[in-house]
Amino acid sequence: MGRARRIGLALLGPALALVVALVISGLVIAAIGENPFAALEVITNLGDTPAAQVQSIVVILNRAVPLFLAGLAVSVAFRMGLFNIGVEGQYRLATILSAAVGAAVNLPAPVHVLFIIVVAMLVGAFWAGIVAVLKVTRGVSEVISSIMLNFVALGLAGYLLTGPLKGSPEGAGIVTTAEIPESGRFPDLTGVLTGLGLEEPRSELFGFLVVAVVVGIAISVLLSRTRFGFDLRATGLSPSAATASGVDTRRMVITTMLISGAVAGLIGLPDLLGSDYEYGTEFTAGLGFLGIAVALLGRNSPIGIALAALLFGVLDRAAPLLQFEDIPASVVTIIQGTIVLAVVVGNEIARRLARRSAERAGAAATGAPPDAGDGGGGGGPDLPGGPDGGQRTYTGVPGQPEGVRP
Amino acid sequence: MRGARIRKAGVRATALVLAGGLALAGCASDDDGGDGGSSGGSGGGGGGGDELKIGLAYDTGGRGDRSFNDSAYAGVQAAIDEHGGEVQEFSPNDGGSDRVEGLATLAEQGYNPVIAVGFAYGDSIGEVAEDFPDTTFAIIDSEVTELGIDNLTGIVFAEEQGSFLAGVAAALKSETQSIGFVGGVESPLIQKFQAGFEAGARAVNPDIAINSQYISPAGDFSGFNDPARGQILAQGMYDGGADIVYHAAGGSGTGVFQAAVAAGQLAIGVDSDQYETVDDPAQKAVIMTSMLKRVDNGVKAFLDDFVAGDIEGGTDVRYDLESEGVGLSESGGQIDDVLTQIGEYRDRIISGEITVPTTP
Amino acid sequence: MATAGGPSDRPLQGGADGDGGHPGSELAVELRGITKRFPGVVANRDIELSVRRGEVHAIVGENGAGKSTLMKTLYGMHRPDEGTIVVDGRETVFRSPADAIAAGIGMVHQHFMLADNFTVLENIVLGSEPTRGGRLDMVEARRRINGISARYSLGLEPDALVEELGVGDRQRVEIAKVLYRGARTLILDEPTAVLVPQEVDELFRNLAELKREGLTVIFISHKLDEVRRVADSITVIRRGTTVGTADPKTTTVKQLAELMVGTQLPTPATRESTVRSTVVLRMEGATVRNADGRALVDDVHLTVREGEVVGIAGVEGNGQAELVDAIMGLRPLSSGTLTLGDDDISAWSTRARREAGIGLIPEDRHRQGMLLEAPLWENRILGHQTRPPAVKGPFIDRRGARADTQRIMSEYDVRAPGPDTLAVALSGGNQQKLIVGREMSASPRLLLAAHPTRGVDVGAQAVIWELLKDARAEGLGIVLVSADLDELIGLSDTLHVMLRGRLVATVDPGAVTPEELGGYMTGARTAAGAA
Repeated sequence: MGRARRIGLALLGPALALVVALVISGLVIAAIGENPFAALEVITNLGDTPAAQVQSIVVILNRAVPLFLAGLAVSVAFRMGLFNIGVEGQYRLATILSAAVGAAVNLPAPVHVLFIIVVAMLVGAFWAGIVAVLKVTRGVSEVISSIMLNFVALGLAGYLLTGPLKGSPEGAGIVTTAEIPESGRFPDLTGVLTGLGLEEPRSELFGFLVVAVVVGIAISVLLSRTRFGFDLRATGLSPSAATASGVDTRRMVITTMLISGAVAGLIGLPDLLGSDYEYGTEFTAGLGFLGIAVALLGRNSPIGIALAALLFGVLDRAAPLLQFEDIPASVVTIIQGTIVLAVVVGNEIARRLARRSAERAGAAATGAPPDAGDGGGGGGPDLPGGPDGGQRTYTGVPGQPEGVRP
Repeated sequence: MRGARIRKAGVRATALVLAGGLALAGCASDDDGGDGGSSGGSGGGGGGGDELKIGLAYDTGGRGDRSFNDSAYAGVQAAIDEHGGEVQEFSPNDGGSDRVEGLATLAEQGYNPVIAVGFAYGDSIGEVAEDFPDTTFAIIDSEVTELGIDNLTGIVFAEEQGSFLAGVAAALKSETQSIGFVGGVESPLIQKFQAGFEAGARAVNPDIAINSQYISPAGDFSGFNDPARGQILAQGMYDGGADIVYHAAGGSGTGVFQAAVAAGQLAIGVDSDQYETVDDPAQKAVIMTSMLKRVDNGVKAFLDDFVAGDIEGGTDVRYDLESEGVGLSESGGQIDDVLTQIGEYRDRIISGEITVPTTP
Repeated sequence: MATAGGPSDRPLQGGADGDGGHPGSELAVELRGITKRFPGVVANRDIELSVRRGEVHAIVGENGAGKSTLMKTLYGMHRPDEGTIVVDGRETVFRSPADAIAAGIGMVHQHFMLADNFTVLENIVLGSEPTRGGRLDMVEARRRINGISARYSLGLEPDALVEELGVGDRQRVEIAKVLYRGARTLILDEPTAVLVPQEVDELFRNLAELKREGLTVIFISHKLDEVRRVADSITVIRRGTTVGTADPKTTTVKQLAELMVGTQLPTPATRESTVRSTVVLRMEGATVRNADGRALVDDVHLTVREGEVVGIAGVEGNGQAELVDAIMGLRPLSSGTLTLGDDDISAWSTRARREAGIGLIPEDRHRQGMLLEAPLWENRILGHQTRPPAVKGPFIDRRGARADTQRIMSEYDVRAPGPDTLAVALSGGNQQKLIVGREMSASPRLLLAAHPTRGVDVGAQAVIWELLKDARAEGLGIVLVSADLDELIGLSDTLHVMLRGRLVATVDPGAVTPEELGGYMTGARTAAGAA
């Protein structure tokens, strides 16, 4: 099977899903008596003036950066079959602690920023590590424990914010941590934009974009080019085969969750170091959950996640503007929801097409029908392939051969 | 293999639920807000070039909460009825990440004044106001004097004073001398309600038992929109012997009323006259009174001043018992027998004889 | 019709429409000119099949010859592209298995589809629950099941939990399930694959009961001696088409086999002994316990020398899988020691054991041997993640892995378009050859081969046997676990029998018969024979 054909099939799923989602959303808009094409126009029109267009792009990118990191954090775990729902709690806890620590120390600029980043990653990794340890030692499903730890993290963050880490004056409407000094803030990229001859936007482009790109490349190389990445993916595809091949699944669970948590720790930093400089009750919430949707949409590949994050950014930017066209902003949420739903379905269809095409190629080469699986039902529905687009998500307890006889 | 398949199916189901949840959330938060812009526009009628173009940025949840946001809208509508003009509404997304862009877009599109509903905008409104110096901004529930921005006014309320009277009423009416308070989110704003309520109740009976609890901790705004957990907390209080529960929990208040109906006890509403706003007769019956926070009056007054060109800017306007920005509702007649005593406490607060605390 | 390459001697009728010398019998099922195409392959071509009422009709053919496709057609799981199905003299079209069931055709799958934590009764009624006024009527169900059980001597206990049943009992539950739905014609897909000889006898007695009651049985198998014992007539399939029918009374196994394969049959029998004196693996008092503390492998002593094939016979589930897992490091030993060469490897990780020279052909290649949705070159890396040519330092050597996969493909006759093909696209035999090639490429000292030829076609089976024999001749020590008694007897230098976790007998593979071996496996024979 040609590489081009395979890539084509890989893109087919999300593209199909996007179209289906747009059609469904269009129908929804039409059903409430508004013009779907007007909505499309609002979503795609970045602005009438160059300044407005640049501003729109900045807004989109600023939204996409944390979403990308969130999707990446989820996908790392996903690739080995772990469902890290705890990204939300991991990033919130990481953000408040790194914000407080960052405000408390005084270091020269680059070291200060680096210090905050390291603290955030360590906190995120630690919080995710609890999930991993529970799973490995006690067999607790990571789905359950990470959801529970989200509640604990939110509660803990609330306590810390109103208690020991409170930096805002008494009686202020919004409780925040102390502000991070100038040296701990991440320089923005507005200079790059104006350097490219673009208009200066109203908002600043997060400098953290650079970090996100670096992390994306690093994760990509780690997963597809290294031995560790191979072990990780093999565990995701078939834990039993990975164990038999010598992968220590317990260690793998812990390492993977630590990496996932470390990346999750970064999610809040674009906002923290780029515009807020403090963590407060109004700090952007929900990125961890959106990350799951972004990872699904991006089929767990870093490039796909980047595109998915951008798409969500585009849609989110349009939310206020849609309201001005009398289209409720929730249309955006509906579109995002239907896209994810359609992607799940679309991926499954594309996966079957890809498999059928592979089987046909195999059969053509050998003349023998493929050995699809034990039951061997048509199309082999018992084979791996899930919402994550062909990556098997398996949540068994590792360290013990899977499916052993009692 | 079979085990794997089942688990995989589980994950797939989770993903579907998740995706479906996104879509549903989209539908749910829309309920009444959907038709917002158009009705506002029609209110504008055929005014001239100088007519009011009001930008109204809601708190999370948008219009249709039968509480805070709706009250603000009522004030705007009253102003439009009087002065003509139109309103453009904006609701932020669930994470609140587009608040700044929402405000900025309203200003950019020429809406003036722009009113932000809720202290959540306190963080962002300053920078937007500075970016658009020619637009007049106002924010409800957040003090702005310290910021010193000329085109920004704070509209704040003495919730503790109104809550004090609610506490007085509760203490006077309670047969068990045990009452409760359910707060939505443990934020400084809601703590003002709690502080006033407890102070009022203790002013009547220093030994009264008061059980105060919050649905969610600071930073987690689900507490304003979680009737189920509101019901559980209130249920616990009734089971523990309380016979009147006061809620300051926005949309979660419905749960408190349901618990009151189930327990056959009483509850006190908040923000608007909830006796009038709930549909269920059973719930009407348990709403003893409501602590009124006349956001509508505050908004209306601000808009009146704007039309008259009387906006001072850079300061906070405070609405209290004296200016009737806060108070108790009397519909339903359940507190008619104690109105005189409540009136006495009101007078003592207005005269300054009683200073109501703002923190518990 | 096509009879390409059939042998010349003919106790066989040339065409499928020959009625095998039983004129006058009514036909229960008749397939005429069935052709079924899948994208790129013709799975069945011009199939002709006539099954008389009240007979056991065997369909034999190699793995991959198209037997399963044919049965799926007959059971309504897909529709043929050409041809007609005639049931009880009426031409029928099956849109789904429900149509087939309605026409009185039922299927007993090779892999049981039972819910373990349900009772026999519940499993049987599952999917066609009897109702009275919308409510479950278990009394009626129980009455009918007891009736079926008595009538066909199935000996069912309706209230027993399925998880407590043995393989043979489960199979009878499956049969009862089909009968409960009113089937008059039963399709049994490889029913003996999971049974030991004694259980096979019992199954055949059940089939005789069914036949006596006038039911028709279509029996799919590739075990020719069994087919000859049980069938009244035989249809042979090769390469997707029927190549002839045979009378089991007059046809020899050899003739059948040659008709089936089209060529001479391979045999597993080894040449002269190559056993050397150096010990590769020594297991002393090895015990493996499950979570409840029950010993799955119980005090096993085992020695494997260079150039020696040590066979482990046993009914599945008697600890063979756990024994392999223990040697591989997939399960910890609760007591005992394991020595590879001079090293005590009892505490080593699986990866360290692999690096020290243990190779594994796993029992279930889909579960333990392959990443089905990954390309072949990634499957080449699996199990060899720490060794060249697949890796360079901490990085994957994609080019090296692809090149070496290409080498394995040509050296081990793995038929696939290329290293980038997904493993799932390969037939079972080709998958298995890739696994064997991969494990051999690392030059192991000890190879654990669990059911190395299970589910592969005869051609691949011969190749794999040859590979094992060659490796043995070069000094490789092999532990062979298999359910194929001929394979065990033919390949092993030493043959142990495992029962309930213990090695209960050591037999001389040169002298033992499959029947004797079966006796040891079930515990019917207890005397520890001398090797």
